[in-house]
Order: sequence, then structure tokens, then C-alpha cells
Amino acid sequence: MTLAYLSEETVKAVMRLGADECDVIVAQTNSISVEIERGSVKQASSSIDPGVGIRAISGGSSGFAFCTDHEPASIKKTAELAVSLAKSGTADTDFRGLPHPSKPKTISGLFDPKVADMTPDAGVEMISRVADVTGDDKRITSVMAGLGMSVCRVSLANSHGLVAEQELSSFDVFAEAVAHSNSTMFSGFDGSSSRRLDLSQLDSAGLSAREHAINGLRQTKIETGDYAIVVDPLAAGMILADAIGGGTNAEAVQRKRSYLTGKMGQMIGSESITIVDDPLLQWAVGSTSFDGEGTAARPTTLVDSGRLSSYLYDSYTAGKDSVESTGNSSRGGAVWSYRHPPSISTSNLVVKNGSSSMDEMIKESDGGVYLRVTFDHPNLATGEFSGLMMESYVIEDGALGPSIRQSTVGIGLIELLSRIDMIGRESKDYFGVRTPAFRISNARVAGSA
Amino acid sequence: MEDLAQKTIEHATGLGAQFADLRIEDSQGTNIVVMDGKTKTVTARLSKGCGVRAFVGGAWGFSVTNDLSLKSLRLAAESAVRMAKVAESRAKIKFEIECGKAEHATEVYRCDERPGEISVEEKVGFVMDLDKSMKSINPKITSTNARYDDFEGIRIVANSFGTLLRTEDTWTLGACSAWAKDGEVIQRGHHSVGSVGGYELMRQEDSIAIGRTAAEQALRLLDSKPAPAGKFTCILDNVMTGLLAHEAFGHACEADAILQGASVLEGRIGEKVASDEISLIDDPRVEGSFGYFSYDWEGVPSSKHVLIENGILKGFLHNLETSSRMGIPPNGSARSENYGSPPIIRMSNTYIAGGDWDREELIRDTPDGLLIKGAQYGYVEPSKGQFMFKCDEAYEIVKGELGQRYRDASLSGVILEVLGHVSGLANDFKMTDPGYCGKHGQSARTTDGGPHMRIDEVVVGGLT
Repeated sequence: MTLAYLSEETVKAVMRLGADECDVIVAQTNSISVEIERGSVKQASSSIDPGVGIRAISGGSSGFAFCTDHEPASIKKTAELAVSLAKSGTADTDFRGLPHPSKPKTISGLFDPKVADMTPDAGVEMISRVADVTGDDKRITSVMAGLGMSVCRVSLANSHGLVAEQELSSFDVFAEAVAHSNSTMFSGFDGSSSRRLDLSQLDSAGLSAREHAINGLRQTKIETGDYAIVVDPLAAGMILADAIGGGTNAEAVQRKRSYLTGKMGQMIGSESITIVDDPLLQWAVGSTSFDGEGTAARPTTLVDSGRLSSYLYDSYTAGKDSVESTGNSSRGGAVWSYRHPPSISTSNLVVKNGSSSMDEMIKESDGGVYLRVTFDHPNLATGEFSGLMMESYVIEDGALGPSIRQSTVGIGLIELLSRIDMIGRESKDYFGVRTPAFRISNARVAGSA
Repeated sequence: MEDLAQKTIEHATGLGAQFADLRIEDSQGTNIVVMDGKTKTVTARLSKGCGVRAFVGGAWGFSVTNDLSLKSLRLAAESAVRMAKVAESRAKIKFEIECGKAEHATEVYRCDERPGEISVEEKVGFVMDLDKSMKSINPKITSTNARYDDFEGIRIVANSFGTLLRTEDTWTLGACSAWAKDGEVIQRGHHSVGSVGGYELMRQEDSIAIGRTAAEQALRLLDSKPAPAGKFTCILDNVMTGLLAHEAFGHACEADAILQGASVLEGRIGEKVASDEISLIDDPRVEGSFGYFSYDWEGVPSSKHVLIENGILKGFLHNLETSSRMGIPPNGSARSENYGSPPIIRMSNTYIAGGDWDREELIRDTPDGLLIKGAQYGYVEPSKGQFMFKCDEAYEIVKGELGQRYRDASLSGVILEVLGHVSGLANDFKMTDPGYCGKHGQSARTTDGGPHMRIDEVVVGGLT
């Protein structure tokens, strides 16, 4: 029985139970992962995860249920639950209907058969190589690394006759090195995610993790004050995924929970900043030919030369604003999940490259700070960001100096975007964001000196 | 399921696993989200499956299936053993899993009203009431989110020591977020309750009041200012003290981080790592808590762990592997998010014990500083020795009096320094809100707690 047949038949069953509309996702994800701990292969894992997620609509109310197999008896019970849950919710006249069939673009770079053909043995060989590269320095005292490979087949059908299928693959690698020198300890990490088996990422993740662990051993403290900050793509990806991805979420905007509410058409950043949500990028982990409701995927410019130009919509929020869905209903990222109802998310957020080299940005920021890692989230209601600079460096004499111990950075998000005065010309992908490094002319840093 | 479990373990050991274990789960749950007076989605989760783990020589294999037939479980066991052998072939560190005691028990977590026996309509009504309770407080509350979650599951844990445990696990959780708007200013407040147990928890006054608490916080924050940046003496409230216990120290005490060479606490047992008055405990046996469990996910009985006693580092949290490799008894700290994830070392209910100061006296005794209240989130990198956490609100302390209200302060610190800077613990200990801790892609339900605690020289990140 094909996944498409199963999804279509399940739609019919849900409608027979009295739903007004419904959509059904049938998915199966097969995964292999391998982990290194302290330089030694520690664990290899495999999983097979089939399941069905059913969303039933009744009077605009949405009920969702899932089961963890493709068995007819489970699907029947799940369908009954979804319909019954929909009927127990409140009527919602803002719901204008699920998408009608549209022709998804055929895009390349969603599925790499080499990922599907990977064996645990090959994974162990690859991750051992990553560990060897990462640990190749006497100051490195411990190496952690991991490799994950998944293949997901998915079929999505709805009660308007929409049936869409796709096969997705993902390949992730990360490396972390711990370095010691006398009583000082520091760690560096790097990694990458792609839909293809990209062997070049193995060495580069290991090299980068090793370099950053060692670079961080030389440490200093700085005083509280205002500093120019060069933001590495790793930190930029973390901040922008929320600041733009979360801030332009139409649900948050319509409910007046986003700092970008009411700012459509206004300047929210410097003229040099353009940010696009692009689901059609070859091999990028957020790429897809259709979104989690079956709407054909397409790029959406969110920030156009500093001006807010669109929000991210699914069918519900688009109906509420009487606009077209931007195709940003998500069922997960690299691989799709049947376990959650769809919700609005970015696909791949892309920051347009600038013209500055990394050297130029650093040379222009003498006395400033280079921020490589933060794991903080902005407050999307207030539009303020305050976070730990987990890995950062002083910029002195036109180069990166010692790493900064215990410091935080705080800035409003619109100020952050508006104070970007240099943008790099080379991008990297982190946290679903393809971005170059950029420079913020001025931000408040709290130091421990 | 118990019979299937034993046959699967026998199959794994027959194929060459030196140790094997598994977790079979069959669970159901409900999630109801109400936004701005309407249900957003009413969700039911029907989940079942098994994760089999096999150990060979110094490496683990782990295999997951959603199919609980004997045929599928045997295949999962074969895959786990094959994975373990593949990993072991390149493992540089060899070790053994010390044979442990076989445990046999059936545990039924206390539950007066099974969530599955409460109608969805009643649950929806409860969440709608929470939502209304926020909106009704003040017209400045412009948007609301109310949420209810429940879980009922049977978990079988079996291993090649002969352990066979059946746990009937039930928990419920309610949470509210409110957004207040005044002119151009938008602020958010939130509050939650949750515990192991049944629907009876949602009938308690505390649960019914979470909407009001969230809305009042959002309204309070409307006249707050961005937090100042710099070094401050900070008095943390019970919630933030708990978060500090968890982030600043708890994670660094997880023995897997120690064996990975990724914790600044490696080799420091018996050393002074905090002020004399600090005792830090992780205790999964706190009744009525969100982090409660009686046996861990490897089948080891849970127990109270004193990690720091009077400022001295006393021990770490262990699973079967770390206890075997470090030569001490296992202490039952392995948890899995679900059958699809291998067990890893996790905290449960983590807290700093109370002291002697009266809370008001502690504030009056502080010439200048910040009172830090409520937690948004926190994180730590034990290998860098740094942590941060973000509060909901903060108050300036001037000459022992509370002043200006601030929002969104982030506090950062160094693991080996922060608890040495504690200069006062209040006598108002309490366990606080339920939460989820993330580690290695897995989520675990936890609770934190402590008294009000004064710490000198905390770096506070702010915008001004």
C-alpha cells in the first residue's frame, strides 16, 4: 500500500465521520546516528518511525490526532479521535478553509540517494575521521562528535483533493573539542546540516571545533560599555531565526504578540539588509516542494532593503488577513513529523550577502567584539535581545584577540538590524538561516572586568 | 508486554550483547491550546513503541521500532546488537557494565482522577476558563494563550540483570501566557502548574489561578524599563535560585559530562566549590512534583542525591555506565524522553536548601543591587564553565528598599565562582514551577527550587 493511497483513503474515512474538512499526513522516517565520546565511538543507533497525523476541521475548530503505525485499526481510532476532538472545540469563523490543490514546483536537492544508502559501518568510519581531525592537537583533551542521517517519505492529502508526496533526506554532523592549558579549559564546536551527503563538511566541522577550542584558551575580561560587534554566522543564525522567523510569524502579528506588529512597509533595518524565506534552495535542510498543508512552496521576501515587506502565513492566518498563504505551514524541518499539527515556521531564511570581507569587518572594528556563539532568544513581544556571549573575542590590532570571559550583550532588535553597517560576502547555514557575518556598529555589552 | 520484553532481552544477549535493556511504552495524551477565547487545536497522542539497547565491549547499539510484535522486537534487538558491534569495532575506550541487582516491581504513580476518564469537553472548558480569567482582568490584556497537557502511559523497563519493571505514569500540566499592551509597549507574563498525578491537580486553587498570575505579571511589566548592564549584587527569588541550581551546577554534576571530559567539575569531589552555607540536592523522590520518578529508565531505584553539602562537592548523578566506569553504585539518574531515545543522565527536582535569613531582612541588608524574579529559561556549557539564565522581572534595590522595575535581565556566571559569591540564604525555601529540561535533543520534566539567595558580583546583561 503506497503512502499516497493511505493518505487519500484516510481523508475519505475522516470525511465519512462528519468532518467539514481534513488533512492527513502519512510519513515514515528511517534514521541512523553515530556518536563519539571522548574520542571513542560510543553509540550507534537506528530507528524506523512510521505514523499518521490527522487534522479534522469542524465549524472552523481543529482536532488533531496521531498514531505511531500505519495499521488500519490504529488509523480508524485516530480518525475518530481527530473528528471528535474537532467537534469538542470552539467554532472559529476566521478559518477560511484548507488549501486547494496547486501544482508544487519540482525542485532538485530534496533527496540524496547516497544518504539512503548509508550503512552504520560507513557512519562509524566517517565519524571516526571527524574525531581524528578534531582531536589532532595535544591541547585537545576530549572530542565529542555525532553524525545523523535520515530519510523521510511523506504523503499529504486533504479533503479538497490535494495529494502531494515527497522524499526528503538529511545529513547532520557536529564536532566539539575540549582544550586545556594549565588550569584553563575551553570548548569549541561546529557542525552542518544538509539534505545531501556532503563529505567536505566532516573535516571542516572538526577543524573549526578544534581551532575554536584552542583559540578560546587565551582569555580576558572586558568592561561594561558600548562596543562595535562583528556577528559570526553562527550567532547571527541563532538570533535571526527568532528575530525574523518568529517576529514575522503572522499568528504572532495578528495576535499583537510580535514587535513587528503594525510595522508592515516600515524600515526595520538598515538599507543593506534583505532577508528572504526561500524553500527552494538546493540541498538546504528547510527546502521543500510544498508546505505542511500542501501549498506550493515559494520564496517570500520578508525584509527588502531594510523595509518589512511580508509576514509568514499559513492558510488560517492568510484567510484572516485576506491574503495568499506564503506556504509557511510547517511539519518539521529537515524531516517531517506526523506527531504535531502544522504551525507557521520559516523554511530557509536567507540573508543577502554584502560586499565586505571578514578581514575588512574586523579591521573596521578595532576595540570591538567578535561574537561567535550565543544560545539566547530575543523577547519577541518587546523586541529586545539580551544574551550571554558564550564564545566571543576582543578585536585588537585588526585581528581577533583573547576570548572574553563572562559577558553579555543587550540591544533592541530593530536597533540591531538598523545598526548593521557591514555585511560579509560569504554565507554559512546555521539553525535554518543562511547568513553572512555582519557588523553592528554599536551595542551594550556587560563585562566582568 | 512483560513477556515480550523478556524474550527480546534474551534474544539480544543470545546474539552477543554483554548487557541489554529496553523500554516498551504504550501511552496516550491530550493537548489543548486556547488562544484569544477560541480553541487553537485539540490534540490526542497515541504512541507506542520500543527502544532496545545493547552493549558490547565499550559501545552501545540502540534500535527503535513502533511495532510491538515479537517479530519486530526481535529485529530491533538484532539491529541493536549489530549497531553495538559496529560501534565497538572502532571504540578506543573499553569498559564493562557492572552486573546490577534485578528489580521487580509494579509502580502506579498516584492519580486520583485519570485524565483519560475526564471528557474532552470538560478539559476544553477548563482551558477556556483559564483563558477568560486572563482577559477579564484588564482591557490592556490584548492576547492570551492557555494550555493543558496530560499524559498516561505504561512503561516496561527490562534488562539482562533480570530487571522487569512496570510503571504506570500519569502527569498533568496547565500553563498560561498573557500579553499586555499599552501604547506601543507589549509585555508578556506567564505561569504554569504541573505534577505527576491526575486531573485532580487542575481542580486546585493554584491551577485555577495561573491565568490571573500570568496576566498580572504582563500588566506589571508594562511600566518596566530595560534592565541595566553591569555587575550587581543580586537577590534571586525562589524560582531563580532553583534555575541557578539546575543550570549553574546541576548539569556540571551529570557524570556523563565528567567522563566526556566536558565538565569543569571533573576531579573536584571533596573540594570546596561553594560558600559554606550551600547545599545542593537533586531528589526524584519529592512527592507531588513534576520531576518525580521512583525507578529510573534503566530500572535503578531513584534516590536523593546530595551534590554539594556545606560548600563541598560530594557526588555526581549517575547511570549504569558512569557508575560502572567510576566504580560507585548506580544512583538512578538515567531518563529517556520516550521509547525512541536512549536513557541519558538527567536531573529531576533540583534545589538549594534554605538558610537563616528572613527574606525582608536580606533585602534591607543590601545597600544596592537587584531583586531578580521569575524565570524564562537558562542554559549552560559545562565545558566552558559558563551559564546564563533570563528572568521575568527585576527590581532595583537602593539602600535596602525596592525601586524601579526592570524586565528581561539576563544573568551570567562562571560555574566554579558563582556559588562562592553567595552571601545570604533566606529561610523561605520552596519548590517552584514545573518545567522541561533539554539535553542532547531530549526533554525531561523537572522542578527546581530554593530560597531567596543573595549573590555578589553577578554580571547582568541589559540594554542600558
